[in-house]
Amino acid sequence: MLTLAIPSKGRLKEKCDEMFAAAGLEIRQTNARGYRAAFSGMADIEIMLLSAGEIASSLLAGDIHLGVTGEDLLREEAPELAGRMHLVKPLGFGFADVVVAVSDAWIDVSTMADLDDVSAGYAHRNRRRLRVATKYAQLTRQFFAQNRISDYRIVPSAGATEGAPAAGLAEVIVDITTSGATLRGNHLKVLEDGVILKSQAQLAASLTADWDEGARAACARLLDRLGADYPALAAQVAAA
Amino acid sequence: MAAFPYYGTADIEALNAQAVRLLALFGDKGYRREEPSVLQPADIFLDRSGEEIRRRTFTLTDPTGRDLALRPDLTIPICREAVRSGRDFPARISYNGLVFRHQPGEPQRPTQFFQAGVELLGIADRAAGDTEILSLAIEALRTCGLNDFSLRIGDLALFGALVDALALPRQWRFRLKRHFWRAGYVESLLFWLGHGESARLPGTRAEVEALLDAQGEAPLAGRTREDIIARTLDRAAEAKSLKLDPVVADAVAKLLDISGPADQAMAQVRGLLKAANISLDAQLAAMDARLATLKALGVDPARVQFTAHFGRNMEYYTGFVFEMWAKDKEGPVQIAGGGRYDTLLETLGAKSPVSAIGCAIRTERLLAVKGA
Repeated sequence: MLTLAIPSKGRLKEKCDEMFAAAGLEIRQTNARGYRAAFSGMADIEIMLLSAGEIASSLLAGDIHLGVTGEDLLREEAPELAGRMHLVKPLGFGFADVVVAVSDAWIDVSTMADLDDVSAGYAHRNRRRLRVATKYAQLTRQFFAQNRISDYRIVPSAGATEGAPAAGLAEVIVDITTSGATLRGNHLKVLEDGVILKSQAQLAASLTADWDEGARAACARLLDRLGADYPALAAQVAAA
Repeated sequence: MAAFPYYGTADIEALNAQAVRLLALFGDKGYRREEPSVLQPADIFLDRSGEEIRRRTFTLTDPTGRDLALRPDLTIPICREAVRSGRDFPARISYNGLVFRHQPGEPQRPTQFFQAGVELLGIADRAAGDTEILSLAIEALRTCGLNDFSLRIGDLALFGALVDALALPRQWRFRLKRHFWRAGYVESLLFWLGHGESARLPGTRAEVEALLDAQGEAPLAGRTREDIIARTLDRAAEAKSLKLDPVVADAVAKLLDISGPADQAMAQVRGLLKAANISLDAQLAAMDARLATLKALGVDPARVQFTAHFGRNMEYYTGFVFEMWAKDKEGPVQIAGGGRYDTLLETLGAKSPVSAIGCAIRTERLLAVKGA
């Protein structure tokens, strides 16, 4: 039995349904409350409807074999994908960027190097560090480290991150954006070299799940229908 | 070596016997053994060390929410204690203990290993300190029966002095030094300084204020209006003066590329400095003295490699840096590494500068190369 998790609601779910329909795969619900489903004619694949975040953590935990979710969530959940997850196929929808943004009033700041200068000065003057509001703590740490910025601290943000600077809860944000309209509406600008990740929906596989013969056979057939590369995944599973 | 090493009886006995020999040698030279705790507050490693150590430090949270780290080296805890206890300098300290390192992308490498090492803190004569530690490191390998090794050396102070000799605004010299570790970045900055056009920024205070006012309701986000205006004006002023003679910029970039047997490499460095009309006599004399030390110790000059950008991305080093390499069954491995870190004690709270140089030996590798 192969377990595949797909988003239970929203834009990602709609796009996901369209993708399966285009591949001639019909999804039918198998329980009334709507969190289990199956493909018609593929009895050895169990579909679970989960939130996008749960899909990322279930893949990491090895509780499911395959999942469709945003690359941003996968990389936040597992900063090092090697040996834990394999990105099977980028799906061409759910495009969004994870970016570093600052207030438009910071007219002297347009690059990460500027932010580096300002954060060092801020820490020195105020005896506390610049606060970065984000739900992407891992991605932020990694990216700031690459840019050699250490004078900051992360303020976890569950939602409406873009309001943090105006509310005085943080000075800088790291957030996901599609058109940039929300950021602009909050008088924020993305730094020129502040794009941390260009994300899209991914069909991802867990390398820590139990890949028995039945799961591998079902996966080979499913990936074939979706035009995805099964041998590459099989090699990763064998190496893990 | 496994990710989670298990030391069998023979392994641990051989390792202990070797450690006894090393610590006895260090003791003979006046270095007394100390031992910090394995579990340390995380902040000193995350705030004070270089990127390389930071991304390789195991951190954890205790039940009250305090961030802790498994020590990724012994130098930082030893130096912090030296500052905290206000000890007298110079201090000669030795250690032998486990360190813990996350190995990103290389899950088969060991997550813990033994290091035996020495720290020489607060000696006024830096050249004498360089000689003492370099000699001790070589004697340590030889005492343990390893004579077949090569050296890689570099000097971060050489780059610092070079940047200070350039006609650039202070902020930019600081930036070049701060980003020296980023391979390629400094070279591209230099190219841009020599060949690029300066950025267009508003130059007068009125223009800057108008630009800021035009941002409407945008929050100042923790900064003052004056701070933003002042920094914008600084940047505009900088951009005007940001111009480096292309000949000089090219010479510096070329200099960063130099790598080879130390004698030839130093001759190349001298040639390029001359072409750029920069004199760094003190730094060159210091490097000559180290090379003379190595010669006096009977190290084959052909096995001493000087690399100008060596030391990039290496923890907290500020000056002379060195590594010792040998071959095990699978190829070359680094057996020991060390160098000067003259600013570390101040960043850990020392009231005045304290010179510092040290060296650490990977004792498990040292055993392995002798068995190879």
